[in-house]
Amino acid sequence: MVKNGEKFKVYAGKDKEASLFMIRLRFARGTLLLRGEVGTPYGKWDPRVGCYRVKAMHYQDVLAYLGESRVPYRDEVPNLPPLQTLKSSVKLRPYQIEGLDKWRRAGMRGIVVLPTAAGKTFIALQAISQLKTQTLIIVPTLDLMDQWKRQVADHLNVDTGAVGGGENTVKMITVSTYDSAYLKAEVLGNRFMFIVFDEVHHLASPSYMQIAEMYIAPYRMGLTATYERGDERHVLLPRLVGDPVYTVDVEELAGEHLSPYDYEKIYVELTPEEQRVYDKEMKVFRNYLKEKGIVLKSVKDFHRFIMATGRDRRARKALLARNRALKTALNSGAKLKTLAKLLEAHRNEKILIFTLHNDLVYRISRLFLIPSVTYQTPREERREILEKFRSSEYKAIVTSQVLDEGVDVPDATVGFVLSGTGSTREYIQRLGRLLRKVKGKKAKLVEIVSKETVEVRISQRRRQKSKKNSKG
Amino acid sequence: MLPSELLFVRRRKGIIWPRYAKLSGENLEVANLLIEAYSRHVGEKKNVLKKFVGELEDMGYDYRFVRGLSVLLDRRSDFKCNVKVNPVELRRKLYQTTEKLGLPTTPEQRTRIIKSVASELKLTAEMMEESLYADLDSELVLAEFKPLPPQELLKNYNLSLTQTLLFSSTELNFTASGNWQRIFYTIKRLGLIYEAYRSGGFWVKIDGPASLFKLTRRYGTALAKLLPAIISNPKWTVEAKILWKYTNEICDFKIESWKHSSILKTPKTPTVSYDSIVEESFAMRFQALRSDWCLRREPEPVPAGKHVIIPDFSFERQSVRVYMEIVGFWTAEYLRRKIEKLKKIDVNMLIAVDETLACEKLEKLEKRAKLNLLYYRKKIPLTSILRYLEELFQPVKEKQASFVKNLPVTFLEPIVKYEEFAARIGVSAESVRTALTEKPPEGYVVLPNSLVKKDKLREIGKTLEKQISQTSRLPLPQAAKIIEKEGVEDTSNVLKALGYKIMWRGINPEKAEVIKPESKQTRKNS
Repeated sequence: MVKNGEKFKVYAGKDKEASLFMIRLRFARGTLLLRGEVGTPYGKWDPRVGCYRVKAMHYQDVLAYLGESRVPYRDEVPNLPPLQTLKSSVKLRPYQIEGLDKWRRAGMRGIVVLPTAAGKTFIALQAISQLKTQTLIIVPTLDLMDQWKRQVADHLNVDTGAVGGGENTVKMITVSTYDSAYLKAEVLGNRFMFIVFDEVHHLASPSYMQIAEMYIAPYRMGLTATYERGDERHVLLPRLVGDPVYTVDVEELAGEHLSPYDYEKIYVELTPEEQRVYDKEMKVFRNYLKEKGIVLKSVKDFHRFIMATGRDRRARKALLARNRALKTALNSGAKLKTLAKLLEAHRNEKILIFTLHNDLVYRISRLFLIPSVTYQTPREERREILEKFRSSEYKAIVTSQVLDEGVDVPDATVGFVLSGTGSTREYIQRLGRLLRKVKGKKAKLVEIVSKETVEVRISQRRRQKSKKNSKG
Repeated sequence: MLPSELLFVRRRKGIIWPRYAKLSGENLEVANLLIEAYSRHVGEKKNVLKKFVGELEDMGYDYRFVRGLSVLLDRRSDFKCNVKVNPVELRRKLYQTTEKLGLPTTPEQRTRIIKSVASELKLTAEMMEESLYADLDSELVLAEFKPLPPQELLKNYNLSLTQTLLFSSTELNFTASGNWQRIFYTIKRLGLIYEAYRSGGFWVKIDGPASLFKLTRRYGTALAKLLPAIISNPKWTVEAKILWKYTNEICDFKIESWKHSSILKTPKTPTVSYDSIVEESFAMRFQALRSDWCLRREPEPVPAGKHVIIPDFSFERQSVRVYMEIVGFWTAEYLRRKIEKLKKIDVNMLIAVDETLACEKLEKLEKRAKLNLLYYRKKIPLTSILRYLEELFQPVKEKQASFVKNLPVTFLEPIVKYEEFAARIGVSAESVRTALTEKPPEGYVVLPNSLVKKDKLREIGKTLEKQISQTSRLPLPQAAKIIEKEGVEDTSNVLKALGYKIMWRGINPEKAEVIKPESKQTRKNS
């Protein structure tokens, strides 16, 4: 348990004159300024202002160093919101207790890797209730903000502050998006002692990682279902949050705490007209590659090609043709027919339908009169739709990528994937959405893929990368 | 500012520059086409308008240019949801009915649900379909569009392009001809850090607190926001380091007023506006004095270490320059810090402090030679300022006067104007006057503005005497004519030197008369 001023000793000089010469540690817009004739191993001399400057993330290290050196100093850094009383009603499952324990033993820093729906949230809530200190919870989306606020209210019995999505109040427990936490690091950086990074893999991006650097919070917890990133940047996370301290795979939990699931893939043929459009557009694309001798094997190759489209008009034309071809395959009318059959076969079950393009979301929504959720859905309506789906008032939702991460949509038993980008994370998260333990119910995931198109390859790539997570 | 995917730049050998749209030919044509299209599409759906924009892209114009213009025009447009029923409520009703009747998997089932809701809401089925997603962005209707001249659009585009590029900047350096207070105020407000330096002029380097640790684009947005304040000046140069994220390469970017002012939208230069009435009234009263001091508002910043001080005013006179800052509300601590900052600079600074605005009890503050705290109440006293200025100018004056005095010079001309003479030897007219008054050259009379040979003066005196003796008075204009004819300009001083007096009748010099004081006396005696 940490109380203000207990762990962080403040040496305040009684003599006013003496205090002028005392070292002062001050928070300066996401960094710490050390006034006085002293340096630290973490600081760097800033000739612009004439004193030492330290990254905010080294706050505790600097305090420890000053303490050890027996240098009198005045700590003017923290600007913490008042503490509130928490009443925790969190009950952890054995593996959650183990995860929390490992994290505590790692010095209250580190990353917990658990599959979606395994209750990562509860580990964090329990950590908050034990630390009883000012906490910032950082999440990727506004949906997740709402969800965390509800969870904190339900399980810790306290009001949360919120920064992002038009809100801007700081309380003992505050929820924020990565975007807002990044943009407001200058003013929020010294207001919390504990940070929970939900979906922590986001933190490794070049801009978001500055959140970790510009906040003083000594205690940090990262949560994710997919620690590894395609770009390998996750190797940066231990320095920012701490090492991965606990990892559980989907397989370890499936059947025990999560429902097992079946996987099925249905191939559909494009309609003759769609096939004609597809072939014509793909030819434009392939011809360009052939002519230029370009081979697209890796993600990197593809990035290079995308870059070329900025300089070369023909490259851009080729790219647009490829996109049209893919769109034709992904949004094939034949898929809609198959979907109609599946919907008929799964009447009265709770269904989630995923697509890549918003166009298709709205086509499906119009055709089957199913509630749609995209980034364009008004926030209030989205909240209402998710709430009614949770309470089973609505039995189906069609959505593009917005629900990809972490948003709790409980009790869905069937998922239909109508298109995808081929990324591992997306696939796992989409599966995760369905893995809800309903008594005796086996979850099912059906992917509808157009035959003999590039899409087959994308889908295979997806499967390959996450083979071990599936039992289908 | 534009979405980053519309950033249209060229890069070569570490140099990066935006593909600015020249205000001519094809560009004006595209701009015009788009502006007309927006005007024409008022009342139509956004996706119809955007389809037209897409067609322009297909016609061979770069999509980044066309879309960039379109983004800017969107900001001058008002898109509205144009249906009678609220789509959100309509959808709710529909979903609820669907839950009741079951998901429609055939067209018949679907029609049944639509009809059921339509009759409940007293709508037609067509209206239902039309309204269902009328609140989607692409379905919104263009209700109003504010057109603008194509040149303006292109200038706006070029500015937006520059700012979008600056999003990726890690630091910015600039020099400018003025507007300093606004620029530095903006720098502070945006939480940036500056360093002033000299490099063929006064330059400022700007980045942010965390820039110390690594190159970061974090402050790019703030730097982009600062740009308008800089380029609203008549003259400026801006250089920036751009961290190109795709290659992780640092590129140089540079724009200059002489080259780019004409193609960039520049905010109107604010005319010299005064922060406070105190400043304005001071400037007016001081100007009215018509002293030899040239008063400048917001002079070039004064470097103080790596920081700068932007004084409110400067007083300039030959080599002497004095700055003045007018302090608003203050505390002793504030003044002490200010003085601390001023210690680093070696200039004459006058700080005007309003006693009535003190936030705490006045404490005695240290006095320094180059620094003068001037306490006042309500109105800044001109006399004490002038006295201070004259005091500072005194050494200059004395030095010059002694220089003139020791000048081995013999005057030959009958009339020597101080100003001309002073300019020839590079001193002030005043020091010439001082020197000559102290040590008049033989055979000359020292007048306030010129040196006149005694013979010459006597000559003028005789001519005047002739005229006056007839009527015992002479109209001033006539006297002036006589004097000027002899090559002397300051009529009144010559008259005074000759013992004449000017009788004013009102302020009109035409009506004034020159008289001999003796005659007045005579009249009084008689």
